[in-house]
Amino acid sequence: MRDPDEDLVRRVGAGDRRAAAEIARRHLPRMVGLARRMLGDASEAEDVAQEVFLRVWKHAGAWKPGAAKFETWMHRVAMNLCLDRLRRVGRNAGDVPPDTADDRASATRALDERQRRERVRYALQKLPERQRAALVLCYYQDRTNIEAAEILGVSVDALESLLSRARRTLKSALAAERADLLSGLETG
Amino acid sequence: MNEARFVELLGVYGADLVRWPEDDRGSAAAFLEIAPHRIKDIWESERSIDHLLALEKDGPASIALEAQILSTAPMRRSLIGRSPGRSLWSLPKWATGGALAASLALGFAVGYAGEPRRSAETDYASMLTISSSGGGSMYLTAMNDGGH
Repeated sequence: MRDPDEDLVRRVGAGDRRAAAEIARRHLPRMVGLARRMLGDASEAEDVAQEVFLRVWKHAGAWKPGAAKFETWMHRVAMNLCLDRLRRVGRNAGDVPPDTADDRASATRALDERQRRERVRYALQKLPERQRAALVLCYYQDRTNIEAAEILGVSVDALESLLSRARRTLKSALAAERADLLSGLETG
Repeated sequence: MNEARFVELLGVYGADLVRWPEDDRGSAAAFLEIAPHRIKDIWESERSIDHLLALEKDGPASIALEAQILSTAPMRRSLIGRSPGRSLWSLPKWATGGALAASLALGFAVGYAGEPRRSAETDYASMLTISSSGGGSMYLTAMNDGGH
């Protein structure tokens, strides 16, 4: 299948500002989303997105369509930048829990959507980084299992193992709050 | 697709079969239609996790960030008004030669008239100029293109 970004990348490489604007419009939200979920920090996520696009501008002229789609390459760059940042500072993202995460008594009351989202976000951030990376790529970035495995540099089997463990960990982390989290949520 | 394989994939990819490997989707959907209740319960359980994950939505990227990123996008040589991606050197030889000759003549004229005053240059300004200064040393300046 032809890379949907092929023409745009070629034009970006030739210095076409309209193509640059189009490729940013097409991919920037996903790059920011990936970095925000990996790093748990909106400001850092924007820094990563900028670094990704600096690399896009730098390499677009030499891009050769072939094995990997350009978007997959961008995901790999973004993911590597995130993992580098996480390792450099020796932290897991999202160290600050939501205000009521440890308040089991409050788990019985209905939560509004913002609180639910914060709890899910916190649970995501507490995942080990490789599990989080697999889940982010397959669930939020809509990468296929083959693409996600390629981005993470692992086999599909290894990716599936990461995904499986990520979902189990999430279920466990959210178990106490699950009924509450789901209250009022349309599941139909 | 059998029960064990279905449950295994369910635990990996979740309840939305669209996220499953393409080769397994059809057989999984068919299996789910006839699956026993305990399997459907597991499927519902995974579905609730999917709903929770879906709460963590993406917002649009900020306009300021987009502008900042675009300000770093490179522009290359080309002529104003030309289609993007063509360089001067892809023009016919006679046109390239003519442009160079005209620029050369203009450059000498401007050079002898004095220091050329730089006009405000936009990002999209594009021109190939050859000018001279001082004892006739030549400066070739390829300006950026518009590509717009």
